[in-house]
Amino acid sequence: MSVTMLLLLAIVGMAFDMGRIYIARNEAQVFTDAAAMTAAAKLDGTPAGVARAREAVAHLPMRWNLGTQPFTGVVVEFGSNATGAGETNWERDPKDAPALTLARVTAPANGVDIVFLQAVGGPKSFTVPSRSVAAVNPVRLVQ
Amino acid sequence: MKASRVRSKRQHGHAMIELAFSAGVMIACLAGTFQFGYTFYIYDELVGAVGNAARYAASRTYRAASPADVEKGNVAIRNLVVYGNSRPAADATPVAPNLKPENVQVSWVEAEKGAPDAVNVTIVKYSVGAMFGSFTFDHRPVAEFPHVGRYAPSESEP
Repeated sequence: MSVTMLLLLAIVGMAFDMGRIYIARNEAQVFTDAAAMTAAAKLDGTPAGVARAREAVAHLPMRWNLGTQPFTGVVVEFGSNATGAGETNWERDPKDAPALTLARVTAPANGVDIVFLQAVGGPKSFTVPSRSVAAVNPVRLVQ
Repeated sequence: MKASRVRSKRQHGHAMIELAFSAGVMIACLAGTFQFGYTFYIYDELVGAVGNAARYAASRTYRAASPADVEKGNVAIRNLVVYGNSRPAADATPVAPNLKPENVQVSWVEAEKGAPDAVNVTIVKYSVGAMFGSFTFDHRPVAEFPHVGRYAPSESEP
């Protein structure tokens, strides 16, 4: 009976924790999609546009972990590969603002605290990173 | 012989008490799993619906000949969240039980001269009724996208 109970609790715990991880992944994806488009929409070929892009991303209202926690450690980078294909040189502080055509936003620090799986040897936390790339003219998601 | 029968009856009694305790714990576990699992499922549906509708709103032409035209556009966005379709059929079913267009708030962040800068779509005062209680989602999930569609201040919604 106790073995059955342990198995049952492990399965219940897995369902609970996996559910939260899945939701966090979707929340992070919606956030990075919106953030990348927001950053791309602010690019106007000037250094001030780059600053506005960063500021606009920082002010987005989306949250994660069932809408309770703000996204932290968000990385906003800019690049100049018009097609989005091949290698793009991503820069956090780009020098050549007029050449920028891409914005990339990464939300790397979404660590979901594992509640139940820890008890059966699972990790304490599971990180669900997310990344999106948007292009300008017209503003659109490319990755 | 008699002693063995008494021992057997005692063992049956122990098994029944053990079952009564463990069944209580198991039922509580399964009910909790259903409660949270169902709520998580609904929340995830809402995250997807709100995200899709916000992206739709962001690329949609913002027609603003009159406040009624703006509201007509907002109705289409609310319908997309609730029914997955901006022009749903009369018998369309919502993506989440009892979700109504009134549970969706669409607000436009305006730039200068009334042009839309971004659109914010969120769920307000929506309760998920599970087995033993309900969870209310108010102003979550939320999605805000920049408006990248056409701005048509003198056009009316068709």
